[in-house]
Amino acid sequence: MDSLHAIGFYVSSGVLLAGALGVALLPGRGQRGAALGVAGLGLAGVFLFLSAGFAAGIALLCYAGAAFLVAAPQYRSVENVASATWRQLGAIGAAGLLALLAYSAFRGDFASATFYGGAFGVAALGRLMFAHDALAVEAVALLGLVALGGATAAWRARERGR
Amino acid sequence: MSAGLVQVFFVAAGLVAVGIFAAAWRRDLTAALAGIPLMFGGAAVALVGIARFSAAGGPHLFGQGFAVLLAISALALVALGIGISGREGSR
Repeated sequence: MDSLHAIGFYVSSGVLLAGALGVALLPGRGQRGAALGVAGLGLAGVFLFLSAGFAAGIALLCYAGAAFLVAAPQYRSVENVASATWRQLGAIGAAGLLALLAYSAFRGDFASATFYGGAFGVAALGRLMFAHDALAVEAVALLGLVALGGATAAWRARERGR
Repeated sequence: MSAGLVQVFFVAAGLVAVGIFAAAWRRDLTAALAGIPLMFGGAAVALVGIARFSAAGGPHLFGQGFAVLLAISALALVALGIGISGREGSR
């Protein structure tokens, strides 16, 4: 990876992590949605500088959609039943996991290979997804269908119950 | 200046940890739902990094393909969660 790509990677990573921290810490729905959008932008940048242009475009679209959903003012708040102690333990667990993963990444010995794909790689990715991994793509398509159908059914059931 | 798989793993680890922190720390479950795309994003960054720096033989773009599927799954799960939570004033 040359210097220009490395600088782009580090800048995008900073944007990504800043957006992620905003999602975790900001109080308002609109602010959280905007932070998720910023995180999506950073994620797309990271993918782009790792020579995954197609994945960057898809991530940008999906995270913009998720940000729009998170920022929407219409949905109802659902209170968490877990006590403050459990939530604090969860936060400490997240910090412990970060330390463990960072240690593993730092101490690990990884194989290195030359990358032959292009910056975008749509044709190769299309061959992979619709020929080699067609079943996984079908499964995710089914998940998307069930999710949207389930969301619509749940929303209609609540509207009918009003 | 250069970046390699270790740096990519650091970013991925940070993203997964922040996602878990958001999901665990938020009192409002619909706000905690926003941690899911972050966790999936962390996994996707690690997979794309492996495809870029370490994949040899076989389908070397497998990590990128999986990252695409993870992004779509994250959006679907957020839509499902928001749909289940219902609209304001519907009860």
